[in-house]
Amino acid sequence: MALLDVGVMFVAVAVAGAVANRLGQSVIPAYILVGMLLGEFVLGRVALPAVGTVYVPETEFISLGAELGIVFLLFFLGLEFNLDRLFARWRPIGTAGTIDLANFGAGLVLGWLVFGAFLPAFLVAGIVYISSSAVITKSLIDLGWIANDEAEPMLGTLVYEDLFIAVYLSVASALVLGGGDVAAAATDVGIALGFIVGLLAVVQFGTPLFDRLVATDNREFVVLRAVATVVFVAGAALALGVSEAVAAFFVGMAFSATEQAHTIETILEPVRDVFAAVFFFWIGLVTNPALFADVAALVALAVVVTTPTKVVTGYLAGRAFDLDARRSTRVGLGMTTRGEFSLIIATVAVTGANAGTFDPVLAGTINAFAVGYVLVMAVLGTTLMGYSAPFESIATSWLERDASDEVGEGG
Amino acid sequence: MTITESDLPGVGKKFEIELGGGEEMIVVIHNTGKREVFRRSGPDADSEKAFEFSDDLARTIGSIIEGAHFQPFEPDTQETTLPGGILLEWYELPPGSPLVGETLESADIGNRTGLAIVAIQRGEEVLDSPGAGTTLCEGDTLIGVGTRENCAAFEEILTE
Repeated sequence: MALLDVGVMFVAVAVAGAVANRLGQSVIPAYILVGMLLGEFVLGRVALPAVGTVYVPETEFISLGAELGIVFLLFFLGLEFNLDRLFARWRPIGTAGTIDLANFGAGLVLGWLVFGAFLPAFLVAGIVYISSSAVITKSLIDLGWIANDEAEPMLGTLVYEDLFIAVYLSVASALVLGGGDVAAAATDVGIALGFIVGLLAVVQFGTPLFDRLVATDNREFVVLRAVATVVFVAGAALALGVSEAVAAFFVGMAFSATEQAHTIETILEPVRDVFAAVFFFWIGLVTNPALFADVAALVALAVVVTTPTKVVTGYLAGRAFDLDARRSTRVGLGMTTRGEFSLIIATVAVTGANAGTFDPVLAGTINAFAVGYVLVMAVLGTTLMGYSAPFESIATSWLERDASDEVGEGG
Repeated sequence: MTITESDLPGVGKKFEIELGGGEEMIVVIHNTGKREVFRRSGPDADSEKAFEFSDDLARTIGSIIEGAHFQPFEPDTQETTLPGGILLEWYELPPGSPLVGETLESADIGNRTGLAIVAIQRGEEVLDSPGAGTTLCEGDTLIGVGTRENCAAFEEILTE
């Protein structure tokens, strides 16, 4: 039956992906929704005629597949991450990315006001801060914006966010898995940061080693050795109490400097896509839609607060890249899209609850919040990008008129 | 000619090629090998997608544009076929041709080759229906009408 469960899961995500694509929407919300529908909280509550109650249970394979999904998503982030590129364009990217951190502050305030405690606020801040690389990049290609000037500030800001989230995730998982005790948490954060420094050293000096590891023409060996390295290091990190996602990110970075980086990217892309779909499906499976009623107000509040903040910080990011009002508005609208990384942050809370170091009720609430928030923001962001024209003309008429007024007064 | 190359993290590379008059061609090469070609009519305009190619097709098209498949050149002789297989062909008199200095009468082209000279282009002017006393000069372009055999015969006396 376990094989049938997995089969049902893959049929479901395949169909959901096709439907979302037909509707011009991102596939991520579709995978989550179909997972939710087929899980114990929806299908499991329905007594079907003849067969009784059947649903897709959260089997070990599915939850492990989801974990591999996180590992591969972050591995690819690292593989495509390029420190040289970041430093080459440091001035605008640094400016845009630092302005973008205002969203983290907004999330922190919002989380504090709702939960009245630091740790949940810290998680909410991460969830609302990070934009979705996957959804935004796909929309950029679909709309043809990839060839326009607005692509650079968007992709540049995402690179900055990726680096921030790598550090954030290691701190967040140390805090959550450390249980709340400040002294213990400080030790765990120290270990996590030490682990990052160690991995950075490996990335910096280990390139010849990684090069030799995948220096073969045999694609089978390349794929096996890359998977072996990333999954083993991620697993070892988790065993040490360090975020597996962060470890995967740095392993990706280490491979990005090798000559085989492009080959690894090409041949592992389908592997990532399969496990990422499992991850989104799993998120849907473990999310109880009944909890949406409890978090609806929080989701609505977060949407109302963090959509405008992202639009503003995105607009300023566009300005930091010397774009005009119209293109900067597009940057702002596009950056509102949240997705996979917000969900990965939510799983930190779920992992903590499973390990007994985090309040399970609070973890359920935060997970439901993240899923509800991502469902809204992924669809909203994609839609805003697709129908950006009216916003662009509003922005142009407001902001460029102000600008010309200023020039007029000055002259 | 300015070509700007930039990285698109997670996507691939972008090349912006200035075509003059503010027009730009933008080529996006995806990590997957897919190519997209966009046209931008001005610095403030949006890029409009013109073409999308697979890796293989893009390489073939690239070699066509590069001239590796076909080298355009202007041929020395031009011919046009009239109905019935009669050719209208023109020849430039090369330096040292035995015909240089002869008149149309003394060269006796019509009897020797069958080709009828119907016009001569000399510099800017065209002598149509040139008379028998017309002297042929180096650099003249002779326009003749005849069969393929007539043309071949003329080509022989043109240089020998």
